[in-house]
Amino acid sequence: MRFIFADSLDTIDPGYDFLADRNGAGRTIHRDDQYPHEFLDDAPYDGILVSRGIVGDARHPGKYSEAQLMRFRREGARRFLRYPETRFPGSMMMGDCGAFTYRNLPAPPYSAEDTAEFYADGGFTHGCSPDHLIFDFDEPGADRSITDVPEDVRNRYEITLQNAAEFYHAGSRLGGGFTPMGVIQGWSTASMADAARSLADMGYDYLAIGGTVPLKIDQIRRVLAAMRNALPSRVRLHLLGFGKIEELSALEEFGVTSFDTTSPLLRAFKDAKKNYWMRTPSGDLSYYTAIRIPQATENNKLKQKALEGSLNQEDARLLEDAALKGVRAYAAGGATLEQGLDAVMDYWAALNWDEEVSPSRRADAAAKQRKVYADTLTDRPWEHCGCRVCREAGVEALIFRTSNRNKRRGIHNLHVFHTHLSEFRQP
Amino acid sequence: MTVFTFVAKAGDISRIARIERAGRDGEGLLTGFQRPQIAAHIREIRDYLEKPSAILPNPIVVAFLGRAHLEPPARPGAASRRLVIDVTDGPPGWIVDGQQRFTALAGLHGRDFEVLVSGFLCDTEEELQRQFILINNTRPLPKALVYELLPQVGDLPPRMSNRSQAALLTEALNYRTGSALKGLIKQQTNPKGVIRDTVLQRVIMNSLSDGALRLYAGDDALLLDKGVGLISEYWHAVRTVFAADWDNKTPKDSRLIHGTGIVALGYVMDYLNGVTGAETRDEFAKGLRLLRGKTAWSDGEWDFGSERRRWNGLQNVPADVRQLTFYLLQVIKTELAAQARAA
Ligand SMILES: [Zn+2]
Repeated sequence: MRFIFADSLDTIDPGYDFLADRNGAGRTIHRDDQYPHEFLDDAPYDGILVSRGIVGDARHPGKYSEAQLMRFRREGARRFLRYPETRFPGSMMMGDCGAFTYRNLPAPPYSAEDTAEFYADGGFTHGCSPDHLIFDFDEPGADRSITDVPEDVRNRYEITLQNAAEFYHAGSRLGGGFTPMGVIQGWSTASMADAARSLADMGYDYLAIGGTVPLKIDQIRRVLAAMRNALPSRVRLHLLGFGKIEELSALEEFGVTSFDTTSPLLRAFKDAKKNYWMRTPSGDLSYYTAIRIPQATENNKLKQKALEGSLNQEDARLLEDAALKGVRAYAAGGATLEQGLDAVMDYWAALNWDEEVSPSRRADAAAKQRKVYADTLTDRPWEHCGCRVCREAGVEALIFRTSNRNKRRGIHNLHVFHTHLSEFRQP
Repeated sequence: MTVFTFVAKAGDISRIARIERAGRDGEGLLTGFQRPQIAAHIREIRDYLEKPSAILPNPIVVAFLGRAHLEPPARPGAASRRLVIDVTDGPPGWIVDGQQRFTALAGLHGRDFEVLVSGFLCDTEEELQRQFILINNTRPLPKALVYELLPQVGDLPPRMSNRSQAALLTEALNYRTGSALKGLIKQQTNPKGVIRDTVLQRVIMNSLSDGALRLYAGDDALLLDKGVGLISEYWHAVRTVFAADWDNKTPKDSRLIHGTGIVALGYVMDYLNGVTGAETRDEFAKGLRLLRGKTAWSDGEWDFGSERRRWNGLQNVPADVRQLTFYLLQVIKTELAAQARAA
């Protein structure tokens, strides 16, 4: 099973100065920054997925700057991402349209032709047909037929198939180094199985299953089972945007060839609790919560309080400074766990002060939070990981603060997840 | 009102004065007047202050509303008087101007600056707020003038140094003999120019970050030599190939001179350099000629495939710049591919 990482300019500055909280001297954006596969000793994925929606194009701006967009189209994905085939042999360079970015439009803003053009410019090895997301999903036994679903759903289904038919021909002009992938969208297991059969009939032998992000794992299992029943075994399957990464066995069971996800990276700073990943000796993933010490003058919540006049910024800065010093001193052995926690929680209290909440509820919340942070600090997980993030940043990677720390922690998670996946493959 | 001045260190100032930001008290009454700290600004000041050459010539302004007074002069006619401040209930003064500088100073390790303090005593809070507004209501310099001054100044914060390099090249292109753009760039000091300096700076910054100039970025000498040479050669080619849309035209009557065309053609330069290796005017012209008959710089219509646009329907907005760039590059790419097949 191949793990493809969906990139959206997820780089870090290797020269970032944690004590001064600033980029390395003279750092130039992107040129001096590093992608996970550049920063770590080994690439933590088997391929990269780049969406048109992220890169942007003539009519739709993406996350790339205009100059970056032009360079990407000129130099291709591998050069832009510094992910050459020679250094990462056999790796996939996969493209899609990023259906989520245009989910609210009546039709995808891209055609089969200009999508093939994007893949040609980018030098992609794999590329998905331009699909359109369907959000409805029927419960088992309640499958609606195509005449029962709303017109919008039917349109999206038909547009996706029509685009796939056109894209198969447009994509075949890109030569033997390129594998076109047909995207499956549907509102039920039956409609998705029908779509899969149609795509296989068009000639596709690699299909990508879309729209599974909101699905629960048992729904995904049903979809996969329906696919396997509908398709000849030569057809490979890719799962787009797979978020339930604890459930790898479902993918294994139904012979999924590849999947893409950003979860390991994103959960480092989007999840309330599971920020820093570990693999237990028994082979499971386990998690620690990162210690939140936001920048007093840049944190929106604190800025808001300063604007209202309910918080003195000089005081907040002192608390912030003490919290950072407390955690660092604890990590270095110069302070006890309780001393470190006291400093962290003093800042936490200022940060979360809300006059609407009763003192007893506030005390309960603080006690709970203290326990969570105590778990993280007591186990000192950063000392048990050998990846470059943990070697170089140590406890800084466990501090929830600034993109350079948060993304580093995400890159550590990618490393842990990739290791987990490769061990998982071996029975 | 009494005004006076003295010298103090940051630590001393924090004992006699505080920053009171605008906010509302329990009854909803407005208190204080300062805005919140601006982290990036403070960091820039601190970076500057850490340099050995740093000076802080402008004073921090502090106001007192009671709990401070000037004693009568020791002898009649003496210039200096003693300021007496009562700090038993905390610092009584307000920082009226220089809060970001003051905060940067307070966080500085290793160097203890002496700074000028201008103080005044006022009778009412209203007077204090009036002074705050008057002192802080200055107009910043026009951006274009700041950009034009940048190349004269070394050691700038990184935020400005990209712009500074671009301004440096723009200046060279505007005044160097033999430059394709000599005298044509409209600057604060060259109002007769037709191409806006900020537009050309955008082309240069794009190329510095992601294009042909990337090779020379960070080296001013190389940029001034090879960088300016490359851009000048390119625009020589543009002027020749599109002479009818260039000569004696203004941005009003040709989109070639206009921000939209200039920026899009900047990307064409990076493309031709990156893909065909063009460096001289002849090599660039070879690429640009592929566009002949497919452009509508000063009349007619652009045929973008999915839509048609009148020549003056293009505006200097990101969407139009991208649209035009994609179109120009597509034409060149298709022609180059056809040439390759024929060869
Ligand atoms: Zn690690």
